[in-house]
Amino acid sequence: MSGRRTVYEIYWEILVYCKTPRSFTAIINRCDLNSKTGQEYLEFLVAKGYLALVTEGQKSSYHSTSEAAVYISLFSSLYQKLFDATPEFKL
Amino acid sequence: MNPVLSQFRTEIRHFFLVSLLNHVFAAIAIATGVQYIVTAIISQTIDPLIPGIPMIPGLRIFTGAIALICFGLGISWILSTVRIFESIVTIKEELEKAGEAIPDERLTCLIVRMLAHYRDNRTTIRTMILVCTLGGAAFFEFGIANGLKVLSISSGGFAFTLDNLLLIPAMLLMLGISLASLLSSYYFLKFVQTWDRRLNEIEESECSLKKTLGLDEP
Repeated sequence: MSGRRTVYEIYWEILVYCKTPRSFTAIINRCDLNSKTGQEYLEFLVAKGYLALVTEGQKSSYHSTSEAAVYISLFSSLYQKLFDATPEFKL
Repeated sequence: MNPVLSQFRTEIRHFFLVSLLNHVFAAIAIATGVQYIVTAIISQTIDPLIPGIPMIPGLRIFTGAIALICFGLGISWILSTVRIFESIVTIKEELEKAGEAIPDERLTCLIVRMLAHYRDNRTTIRTMILVCTLGGAAFFEFGIANGLKVLSISSGGFAFTLDNLLLIPAMLLMLGISLASLLSSYYFLKFVQTWDRRLNEIEESECSLKKTLGLDEP
């Protein structure tokens, strides 16, 4: 996904994408991040325990932990609630 | 059906229609601009704008210049619409493809994408509100000026001339473009108000996301 996003939207996107283990390159490509900021986001999420870095031989990948489910569901409910709180746009 | 999905889909469809309407009339506006340039500059016969008032040669160049500006505005208008239109089409197609059984995460992803698209194009949409309003007013004046050609005003009263009645379709087209521009402007304004309110709500709800991520700890 590209376009102007908030940091929380990027975290959510990474966590949802990493429900199945993903490599660093796959994550930055999918989330449209450069490697520097991508690394920062991933380090933060790993430090908070939302992402786990799994290393198998030469390959390492990121995987969302069960802790991430809380953030993912809170984020989804907040964003879907936007449509309850504001009046509908229609013709 | 999920009420959020239903509302989101309706909004995207309606915004798609407004963008499409805007797109079509921007194209017509460009075509009309070209027609005016050709008529004003190349035409050898001097056609008075208002019957009874002779056409000043310099006025022809002035009209041409105005038409040229309108043509340029039309080009920038259509380019802005294309950018907005393309993103909406992508989101709309994904929503249609997903059908009724769209997973919760997919729906949230499309909402996030729409918000990102809105943040990117907010300034353009705001400019379009202004351009559509000005364009609508300009075309309304063109339409009225065309309408005056149908009338022959003399000291004894006024009459409709059959030859000039052929100008009525042109006048109706102008008034149609004007109406479409003003309607687009109105709906773009409504769209901006709705999505601005949503952006504000997101900013307010970021506190709970921050708390969950442990970012508000001292």
